Amino acid sequence: MSQTTAVHGERISLLRVLGPGHVWALGVGIVLVGEYMGWNFAVGKGGAIAALVACWFAGLLYTCVAMIDSEVTSTVAAAGGQYAQAKHIIGPLMAFNVGLFLVFAYTMLEAANAITLGYLVQTVGSMSGFENTHDKPFIVLTIMFLAWLNYRGVYATLTFNLVITAIAFVAIWVLFFAVQPWSDVYMKHDQLLTGLPYGWLGVLAAMHFGMWYYLGIEGTTQAAEEVRSPARALPLGTMTGIMTLLIAATMTWYICAGLMPWEYLGQAVTPLFDAARLTDSTVLMVLLFIGTIFSTLASANGCINDASRAWFSMGRDRYLPQAFGAVHPKYRTPYRSIVFLVPVALVFAIFAPLDQVITFSILSGLLEYTFMAFNVLMFRKKWPLGTIPRGYVHPFHPLPAIVLLILCTATYFAVFLGYGTQLIAMMVFYIMASLWFALHRYKFVRRGAQFTMPWPKPVGY
Amino acid sequence: MNNFVLLEYAAWGISALLGLWMLADLIYTDRTYSEEMLTSSQEGDIEDSLVIDPTQQGGQK
Amino acid sequence: MAKAPYQPPVQSKFGQVFDSLFLLALVMAALFVPLYLGLAGGGKTTLEMPDKSWAGMQQNATMQAQWEKLGYTDGTEAKDGKTPAADLIAARFDYTFEPVELGLTALVVIGYFFIVFHWSKKEYQDVIDERFNNK
Repeated sequence: MSQTTAVHGERISLLRVLGPGHVWALGVGIVLVGEYMGWNFAVGKGGAIAALVACWFAGLLYTCVAMIDSEVTSTVAAAGGQYAQAKHIIGPLMAFNVGLFLVFAYTMLEAANAITLGYLVQTVGSMSGFENTHDKPFIVLTIMFLAWLNYRGVYATLTFNLVITAIAFVAIWVLFFAVQPWSDVYMKHDQLLTGLPYGWLGVLAAMHFGMWYYLGIEGTTQAAEEVRSPARALPLGTMTGIMTLLIAATMTWYICAGLMPWEYLGQAVTPLFDAARLTDSTVLMVLLFIGTIFSTLASANGCINDASRAWFSMGRDRYLPQAFGAVHPKYRTPYRSIVFLVPVALVFAIFAPLDQVITFSILSGLLEYTFMAFNVLMFRKKWPLGTIPRGYVHPFHPLPAIVLLILCTATYFAVFLGYGTQLIAMMVFYIMASLWFALHRYKFVRRGAQFTMPWPKPVGY
Repeated sequence: MNNFVLLEYAAWGISALLGLWMLADLIYTDRTYSEEMLTSSQEGDIEDSLVIDPTQQGGQK
Repeated sequence: MAKAPYQPPVQSKFGQVFDSLFLLALVMAALFVPLYLGLAGGGKTTLEMPDKSWAGMQQNATMQAQWEKLGYTDGTEAKDGKTPAADLIAARFDYTFEPVELGLTALVVIGYFFIVFHWSKKEYQDVIDERFNNK
C-alpha cells in the first residue's frame, strides 16, 4: 500500500516496533496503579467486604471488555483504538465521542497519578522531619517529565514502562508474602471486618471505584499501529493483562483489609504504602514507596501515550483541527497532541481533588464500555463471522455484551449514589461537545475517506 | 531553607527546562518541515506491518 | 451513477486555533462549574458521635492500635503530633435520593446515547455510500 516509513519519502507514520511484552506493559502499566491508590475509595463507599465484591464484579465487567475488545481490535488495528472501531462500525459522531472518552479517561488518570505521586513525596518529606513541604513541584515534574519522554519516542517510553511495571507488580507480591497471609501475625480480618456499613446498597455503590482496579486495560489497543503483529500481540497482551490484574487486585484487598480499619482505608491516598508502614519494616516501606512511585509513573506514562494517540487520530481525520495529525519526523510521535494535552493534565492535577479527578476518569471509561457493548453487537451484525478475517473471535457471543451492559447500568447507578452531580456535569459536557461536532466540526471531515479498512460493504447498507 | 526546599526548587527547575525543550523543538520542527509532510500519516493497515529494528529509530532506512 | 465525493473546506490556521481553545474551555468548564458552584461532593454527611473516645466511636482494640500507628488519636484535639481520627470515622456518604433525580439522570444518559447513535447512523450512511459508490 501507499504507507511508507521513510522520512525522505512523501509520507511519515508511527513506528512499528512493539512486541506483546510492551502491550502487556502498556495495559497493566496503566492499571496497576489502581491497586496502589484509588480502589480503596470503594471501601469508603460500601465497606471492606463491599469492595471485594465490587472487585470481582468489576473483574467480570473487564473480562467482558477484554474479550470484546480483543476481537474488534484484532480486526480494526489502528492507532486510536476504540475511536477507529467506532468510526468503522457505528459512525462519526459516536467515534468523536469515543475519542473524547479515551482522551479524558486517560488524561484524568494521568492527573490522578501525578497527584498521588506528589502526595507521597510530600508525606515522606514530612515523615523525615521537614516542615512546610509541598506536593505541587513534584506533580508538575511528573507530568512534564513523562510528556517529554513520550515526545522523544514510543520504544524507549514503553520499554521504560515494562521495567517499572514489573517492579511495581513484584512489590505487591513481596508485601503479600511478608504479611504472612496464612497466619494472624499481621492479618486481623476477624477484628477489622465489621460487616456492611451501608448494607447491600453500599455493595452496589462500591462498583463505582471497583472499576478503578482495572480501568485503562483497554488502552492496549491504542498501540495498534506501533505493534509488530497486532492480530496476535493485542489479544495476548490484553488477556494476560486482565489475569495479572485480577490476581493483584485480590491480593491487594486481602492485605489492606487485614491491616486497616475501613474508615481509614476508605479515605487513604496511598493504601499499599500505608499497609507497609503498619508492618514496621523499613525495607517494606521503601519497597512499597518505590512501588507506588513506579506504578504512578508507569500509569501516567501509558496515559500520555494513549491519550495523545487518540487525539492524534482524531486530528488526522480532521475531527479535531488537522494540525494535531502531525507526526514528528525524527521521533515519530504525535508530538503536537502530546504538548497540547499537557496543560489539561496540569490544571486538573493542580486544582481538583483526587476523588473528583478519579470520578471524571471512571465516568469517561464507563461511557466507553457502554459503547463497546453496542459496538460488538453491531460489528457481528454488519460483518458476520466469515465475511472478514478476524485475528481473534470471542466465545459465547452475545453473552459478554449483555453482561457488560448490565454491569455498566449498575455502575451508572453506583456513581449516581454520592456523585450524582459529577455524572450530570460530565453528561452535559459530552452533549455540548457532540452538538459542537455535529453542527460545526463535521463539515471539515472527508466522508468516504475515513473508512480505511479493506472490508466489504456492511450488511444492511 | 532546608534540603527539601532545594528538592522542590530542583523539581520546578527541571519541569521548566523540559517544558521549554519541548516547546523549542515543537517550534523548530514546525518551521523546518512542511505541514503536508508532517500531517501525511494515514490510518494504518495490518498487511503493511513493517518490522523495524528499534535502534533505527531515527528512520535512516 | 456515483455521486461526487464530498469535498470538505480547508480550515484556516485561525479556525484551527479557535477550535482547539474552544475545546479547552469546554473541558475546564466541565471541571470547574461543579466545583465552583459547590455541587461536587454534595453527597456526603457526618455521623453524630457525642463520645469521641475510641470505644465511643465503635473502634475495638485492634482498630485503635492501627489508628495510632497510622498517626491518629481519639478525642477532638491533636496530641503528640497525632491528628484526631474522629472526622475520618464519622464521614459517611448520603445515599438518600429522590426517585425524580434518579429518573432524570437515567433520562439524560439514555437520551445522550440515543441522540449519538441516531446521528451517527445518518452520518455513517453517507460514509458508506461514498466509500462503496452506492447509487
